[in-house]
Amino acid sequence: MGTSLERLIATTEELSTEILRAQLDTPSDIEAFRIRFIGQKRGLITQLFKQIPRLPKEDRRTAGQVLNALRKKAQATLDSAHQKSVSDPVNLSEIDLTLPGRKNQWTGSRHPITLALSRITDIFHRMGFTIAEGPEMEDDWHNFTALNFPEDHPARDMQDTLFIDEKSPDQPRIMMRTHTSPVQIRTMMAGEPPFRLIAPGRVYRNEAITYKSYCLFHQVEGLVVDEGITMADLKDTLYRFARAFFGEDVKLRYRSSFFPFTEPSAELDIWWNLPDHPDGGRWMEILGSGMVHPNVLEAVGLDPERYTGYAFGMGVERPAMLRYDIKDIRLFYENDVRFLAQF
Amino acid sequence: MKISYNWLSEYVSHGLSIAELADALTLSGLEVEHIEQHDLSLDGVLVGQVRSVHPHPDADRLQLCNVDLGDGTPVQIVCGAPNVAPDQRVPVATVGSRLTINEKTIRIKKTKIRGQVSMGMICAEDELGISEDHHGIMILAGSSTIGEPLKEYLLREEGLAADTTLDLAITPNRPDAVCHFGVARDLSALQNVQVTFPDVPIPPSGSEASNHIDISIQCPDVCSRYTAMIVRDVTVGPSPAWLKHRLEAVGLRSINNIVDVTNFVMYECGQPLHAFDYDRIAQKKIIVRESVEGETFVTLDRKQHTLEEGMILICDGKEPVAIGGIMGGKNSEVGDTTRNILIESAWFDPTRTRRSSKVLGISTDASYRFERGADTRRQPWAAMRTAMLIAELAGGKIVPGMVDVYPTPKSLATVDLRISRIRTILGIKIEHRRILQILESLGFAPREAAEGLVSCTIPTYRPDVNLEIDLIEEVARIHGLENIDLPEHTSLRLSAPRPRPADLLREHAHIHLTGHGFREIYTNSLLPDEVARQFSQAVLDSDDPPARTLNAVSRSMATLRPSLLPGMLMAMQRNANHSQRVLRFYEFGHVFHHSKRAAAFIENFSEYDVLLLGISGAIRPTNWDQDHQVADFFDLKGEVCQLLDTLQFNALRMQPSYTATELTDYHITLYSGRTHIGVLAKLSGAIQESFDLPDPVFFAEFNWTRLLLLHEKNPPQTYTRISPFPEMERDLSVSVDKSQAVGPMISTLRKVGQPLLRNVDVFDVYTGNQIPADRKSIAFSLRFGGNRTLRDEEIDRIISAIVNAFSEQFGATLRS
Repeated sequence: MGTSLERLIATTEELSTEILRAQLDTPSDIEAFRIRFIGQKRGLITQLFKQIPRLPKEDRRTAGQVLNALRKKAQATLDSAHQKSVSDPVNLSEIDLTLPGRKNQWTGSRHPITLALSRITDIFHRMGFTIAEGPEMEDDWHNFTALNFPEDHPARDMQDTLFIDEKSPDQPRIMMRTHTSPVQIRTMMAGEPPFRLIAPGRVYRNEAITYKSYCLFHQVEGLVVDEGITMADLKDTLYRFARAFFGEDVKLRYRSSFFPFTEPSAELDIWWNLPDHPDGGRWMEILGSGMVHPNVLEAVGLDPERYTGYAFGMGVERPAMLRYDIKDIRLFYENDVRFLAQF
Repeated sequence: MKISYNWLSEYVSHGLSIAELADALTLSGLEVEHIEQHDLSLDGVLVGQVRSVHPHPDADRLQLCNVDLGDGTPVQIVCGAPNVAPDQRVPVATVGSRLTINEKTIRIKKTKIRGQVSMGMICAEDELGISEDHHGIMILAGSSTIGEPLKEYLLREEGLAADTTLDLAITPNRPDAVCHFGVARDLSALQNVQVTFPDVPIPPSGSEASNHIDISIQCPDVCSRYTAMIVRDVTVGPSPAWLKHRLEAVGLRSINNIVDVTNFVMYECGQPLHAFDYDRIAQKKIIVRESVEGETFVTLDRKQHTLEEGMILICDGKEPVAIGGIMGGKNSEVGDTTRNILIESAWFDPTRTRRSSKVLGISTDASYRFERGADTRRQPWAAMRTAMLIAELAGGKIVPGMVDVYPTPKSLATVDLRISRIRTILGIKIEHRRILQILESLGFAPREAAEGLVSCTIPTYRPDVNLEIDLIEEVARIHGLENIDLPEHTSLRLSAPRPRPADLLREHAHIHLTGHGFREIYTNSLLPDEVARQFSQAVLDSDDPPARTLNAVSRSMATLRPSLLPGMLMAMQRNANHSQRVLRFYEFGHVFHHSKRAAAFIENFSEYDVLLLGISGAIRPTNWDQDHQVADFFDLKGEVCQLLDTLQFNALRMQPSYTATELTDYHITLYSGRTHIGVLAKLSGAIQESFDLPDPVFFAEFNWTRLLLLHEKNPPQTYTRISPFPEMERDLSVSVDKSQAVGPMISTLRKVGQPLLRNVDVFDVYTGNQIPADRKSIAFSLRFGGNRTLRDEEIDRIISAIVNAFSEQFGATLRS
């Protein structure tokens, strides 16, 4: 079939006349027009565009311009027909479609801490961790002794402990757990390795309530104990978590630190971009971690020569405050609907 | 704990900038929390020579000085200092320079003072930021060069330079790192360079010193070593600039040359020291003993303390002169007139020091170090170092020898390290040579005891190192955690474990409740005691008392919540105060109380999970064709039934109670068999008012732990075949006595309607003109179905059986 520029222009003019004369009164008229001229597959103008490559090279540019003008004209006709059909009055005596929809219920919401906790546990769950829980009221052995906190050691002062009145104690023995780490002990006491668990929960500190501290907060604890587990495995797990939680391009660093129940211990910092900061951002501490201390394994009856493992724990409020730019921790516990409704 | 960059750099040439140093220390376990620069800000301050001094013609106290600044053109400077004299070398702030005085920056300009030109300022030490001395202008030594920048002179002659303070967070396992030596040791290991500590010739114990002081320790358990030296004929006075600067850099104020030396040596080597006025020590005796209850003592800061039993007291022949490890006494303090100094360098027990410090509410640089564990071998070195510096700076004479009472010397521990174990723990191989270097630099004197086995001798400044794993940590932190490569193969599993039923059930409840317009809240687990007690009895199925705390920081957080209800009411109150009329909340949380039953976790206490729902106010958003409607009990009951239905708790029994309690006007108790599961209730009007809530409050509290147990007992769900036969609907309207409850009638309906009755709904309850005043009409909608097509006659037969039963049991009559 021969194709020439003249023939194409002639067709264009015919179509142009047809477009001018089109009567578009009903929605079905409008739709039919759209399909006839600019439908994706068989639209007449669409078809003409497909002829361009078959034209002589020097004519292609002109053909393109002519067709583009035609397509614009068809689109303009279509748009004004649409406009007209929307603004035309419908029969209001029957139905007013512009009235607000009837709301039979408000929108509910989950608390931001629940959201943050489940985001964290979901990531670990997909990496093979099971969820474990323990009581918030703990005894000295689970909260401290089994976790290698020596009696009368300054490490016990690192956490301001809230003790429970036992009516007749010589020495306070029951307390609100200061961390989720006792769940490590309870889980290991109750089972056999390998352990791969994640323990979310509420923990307590005997602190006054201010904008930056609260007497309780939430933590997620992780524990892996098996044969042949190393610190490199710990880094592998945390790196995968950080990428899933903070994004693929997360920047991390490990800082040597001290926790009685892990050795070597490390804190994990992530680089937090702050455009206004002189260094463009700063390192933010997000979790504490380390290799399970042999004394902890021994306390739960495991042989540290055979088993090794790692543990980590992170606060939930702090990253949430970072993420949502919340400056006052009390907002989490005041339950103002204007706050809750934002999550 | 603060360290000075310049001071540190004296012991180890680390070659690191301040930023690099801070990073290296932070990553290896000594976290730098804060960096502060101390600038000498002496640009434009030069050494000048005073050529001549003439009185100012128009001011009595001012003088006109002709000062040579080395550029050949002497300038005139007006000076008010009384000590200015010809031929002095003095610091001159030249025109255009800036000085920072009392935190204000002053620009030096050419001025006229009472008509005389002044081309700069001759400065006192405080104006240069060198010390707080403002007695007169600073006089420089003859070794200065006219015209040289003062900075260069100060650095050369007095060791003064701009410095940087690094504030370190010291973890409890690093008692060695509370001084410059300790930080220097870490640095030497990190950079693999040598440390050089000052050489101090330690005198033998005994000799002349023992003739002048007698020392006895009555409590060697808590004071294992007491070393003393004496320096005679000192002149107490201000410290030299270099010493003041060192102390300033670590955040200490200069007191006098004696006290400053003890502080300097403490920050240098970690050993706290105390200087007594030797002449005020009665009978030239030091007795270390434990205090008895009720003794009083006045510390250096002029405060009187009443002591508890068992604090360590340093006494002379008459009375206590210091609380060991905490603070010295007023009665033996070094003052301006002190001539002879007794230096104490001792070891006090960490636990005892910690307890005394807590009880007395005194935390000092000394107690900070003793409670972490001081080095048990540093005392003689520190005593001699202190004595030498005092002799040098205060002009005294060291009494030869020392008294070193150390009844039971501790032997050095050894710990073996298997090289292979490093790889087992860290997952990487570290070069053998580097391992030995690190251990050597940190002072562990590694010795290869056998193939792959290194035997380490633990220095006394590292009491925290007792196990092989402690040595592995040392190697790891110095080698760098950053240098532990990720493993080639992950140890993680590909498959996610099966979710726990508990998590699925809770997730299901979350989805349902948020879909029903409830907002989840988190409330404080700690309540004021009276609130906890008020709410404990009404909601629990027992009258066990709530669990109180021993050491709450405030009265409003004294007792653990026995119920989630008060927390929710506070949340409702808060929102009502902010004009929120939509109060639909739920909370999952733990509650606590004393219990005599067998405990799941902690004996004598019960702790379990609770779910609380609460509604008050509008039941649905206002729409253009629906009026505002305030929630009542049946809105709550409906929500509860739908929730229990979707969670498939089908066999719970509801026991109504029309009796008001302290907390509720009426309620329904929820049971599974005889097990209490929860309550649904209307909050009493009085409590509603006490929380300023405008609308009635309805709540349901469930023992979620018990619901979970039920859930786990539920048989696995199976599919029931859908009947292909049509169902039939019938309505039934009866009239009964007004007081007749509908619940029992539904039970009868279900019983009589078996097995074809599939569903019962109540679609109308009517009282009014149409029926007698003492009657009400109830309309039921019934749905029947079976495994076959039902015939009208058989449904009619069931209906008449129901009508008969209704009539017999409830005196019901059929309404047409």
